[in-house]
Amino acid sequence: MEIITIIIPLLAAAVQSGTPILYATLGEIITEKSGVLNLGVEGAMIIGALAGFIVSRYTGSPVLGFFAAGIAGSFATSIHGVVCLWFQGNQVVSGLALTILGAGLANYLGTSYVGLSAPGFSPVAVPLLSSIPVLGPIFFNHDILVYISYCIPPVMCLFFTSTRFGLGLRAAGEYPAAATAAGLNVLAYRWFGILVGGFLMGLGGAYLSLAYTHLWTTNLTGGRGWIAVALVIFAFWRPGRAVLGAYLFGSVMALQLRLQALGTQLPSSILLMLPYVLTVFVLVMSSWRKKTNEEPAALGVNVEPAD
Amino acid sequence: MSSREPLIRLENISKSFGKVQANRNVTLEIIEGKILALLGENGAGKSTLMSILAGQMLPDAGTIYLGGKPVQFSTTEKAISAGIGMVYQHFKLVDAMSVAENVFLGQKSGFWLKKKKMARVVEQLAGQYGMKVDPGARISDLSMGERQQVEILKLLHRKSTVLIFDEPTAVLTPNEAENLFATMKIMVKKGKGIVFISHKLEEVMTVADNIAILRRGEIVDKVAASDVSSTAELAERMVGREVLLQVDKEPVEPRQIVLRLKKLSGPGLKKINLELRQGEILALVGVAGNGQKPLVEAICGLSKPPPDTVTILGMEWRKFFRKAEWDNALSYIPEDRQGLATCQGLDLLDNFLLTTRGGFTKGPWLQKELAREKASYLIKEFDIRPPDPAIFAWQLSGGNLQKMVLAREFFRKPRLIVAEQPTQGLDIAATEDVWNLLLKAREQAGILLVTGDLNEAFVLSDRIGVMYNGKIVETFDTDNKEKLDRIPQMMAGLAVA
Repeated sequence: MEIITIIIPLLAAAVQSGTPILYATLGEIITEKSGVLNLGVEGAMIIGALAGFIVSRYTGSPVLGFFAAGIAGSFATSIHGVVCLWFQGNQVVSGLALTILGAGLANYLGTSYVGLSAPGFSPVAVPLLSSIPVLGPIFFNHDILVYISYCIPPVMCLFFTSTRFGLGLRAAGEYPAAATAAGLNVLAYRWFGILVGGFLMGLGGAYLSLAYTHLWTTNLTGGRGWIAVALVIFAFWRPGRAVLGAYLFGSVMALQLRLQALGTQLPSSILLMLPYVLTVFVLVMSSWRKKTNEEPAALGVNVEPAD
Repeated sequence: MSSREPLIRLENISKSFGKVQANRNVTLEIIEGKILALLGENGAGKSTLMSILAGQMLPDAGTIYLGGKPVQFSTTEKAISAGIGMVYQHFKLVDAMSVAENVFLGQKSGFWLKKKKMARVVEQLAGQYGMKVDPGARISDLSMGERQQVEILKLLHRKSTVLIFDEPTAVLTPNEAENLFATMKIMVKKGKGIVFISHKLEEVMTVADNIAILRRGEIVDKVAASDVSSTAELAERMVGREVLLQVDKEPVEPRQIVLRLKKLSGPGLKKINLELRQGEILALVGVAGNGQKPLVEAICGLSKPPPDTVTILGMEWRKFFRKAEWDNALSYIPEDRQGLATCQGLDLLDNFLLTTRGGFTKGPWLQKELAREKASYLIKEFDIRPPDPAIFAWQLSGGNLQKMVLAREFFRKPRLIVAEQPTQGLDIAATEDVWNLLLKAREQAGILLVTGDLNEAFVLSDRIGVMYNGKIVETFDTDNKEKLDRIPQMMAGLAVA
């Protein structure tokens, strides 16, 4: 019985630490599905985190903060859109620039808030569901943002496979020429992918500043954006598998914290490294299994605007 | 001919790219229930004309009439909604999606995709036109013929009334081509108008109702297929015989054999025998796609021929390519001068060094100064403009780029030259320069000239070989009048031995 009392809180913590990564991964999936590689996830996340924190702090409404974070995320990735969709800039370079810009901007603007707190979200147990043994405490005793994140993957799946717009978005990422020949506006779909993706990345950031902690610190995202980029490959661009991947990372992060708290012999820097070691491992494994033909064929390939 | 309004009428369409006039005063009618074949060599302007019709570019002059009313197709969407559909040579299909998804891509059909209904619609549509495809199959699992059917289904589902097929049989097996023709016949029976672009004469004779022949951007002939007596007649109309240019050709005594092909077979090639001596130009003529490409690739080392079939400068292919020196050996002048022959983003000096670097190396170092001197000299000698070795390849016009390639290759003093369509797309002046250069090079080398331009073959060559269906039908001296007259027959596969 004792094992359960350790494992259940650990898994619940895994869901919680996995949630920001899940938001960001889903954001990157929709962006990449439209054919745009956005390596600026980290930047969009941290800008979202700060925007959410500030808005929540001044309005006293975490809900407003949450939406502000999404909008700030879209705003951040729109820079990527301007560079890549309007000016046909290099997507890799532009994404890296967005990461650096985001981190710099958030740290600069956030200096005066370091250590301050803002109203955030607190856990709300879902009636009935939370009383299910084992699953209840793991999945249904969280804040509302976690519950929202449960809804996104199925909606996204449905969007990709069963709607006209999802079909168009996938075509824009697979073979833009075919989409154009079919009379679709590829750039519009890519804008959609970038902006919705940025919105989700911003939400991922907000989760960190409004739910995971209610504090602002520098470097709050701590590389989670990069983990999301790697997870997209692990997930084979499928929202469902992204959930699995995000919680896998979440559990490693949660475990790492527990182990530190328990005071193991292992130096904490090794433990802190664990999620990133897992990232490398996951990338190697997914490339090795060579199921990479799931990748959108035109990912990272710019499209000339029609006149 | 019925007095009904044609579906589409192109009137006096002209289009030029820089100095090259791709289309000149083209007037064409696409009629309901008829297959119009647009026949012409590569570069005759077929594709440009159809791109204009499909809304990919606007003509410089001329009007398109849709059911009698003038229209402007400034975008592909406009052409699509006017009922014009194009089956491209390179299919515009999303490999990772299913047949049904591709058919429905871009269709205004409500927010949700109804998978079952989509599959049913696709299946029914295919059935109506004698096609058979699995609507749920992924495109990447389909054969070329099946993919083409999906392209056609896309257009039919959009209710296109005019369907343009751009060399549709190039990627098909003979059997699949038969099926395609059957489908085309059903389509015209159901009132569609079809444009069939091809340079395969038999096909045109089989399926077309009307034939328009395009040469150098102009319509040179319009005939009803029933009025054409033979494919040879078509071939002659297609290639033309007029002589535009004449250059002086000094006789050179042929010397030792530099290239020998013995029963060379392979994909697209059937038992080719050929001998080429230093001091002569052998022109290989034929309609494109009859084995010229694989033949050139086998000789120039781009694909591996079977052992002991290709002998270059007295050495078996493998031995030759293992030991080949950078000079006094083989030079290849590819058709694709911007892709295979040069690197667009490198300057002329680096492009010059691409194949001549063997002569400018000292240990691991390139002797750039020496090379620059040499390149500058050649640029002056070959009159390449602008005369600056630091200029990038992409900044040169086609003619100057070709001269630069020739300058580089001749600098290697090759004993065997393979030149592929060396004057395609060049203006008259540049063509004349290139011809003179080739004739001069002949003094030192044996030249295999692969060309689609009969006039070029007549002017330059000492001997002519005609290719058809992967074989060399016949080889003869260029002054053999009687044989020359029969070239069109041979090109059409009506060889009389």
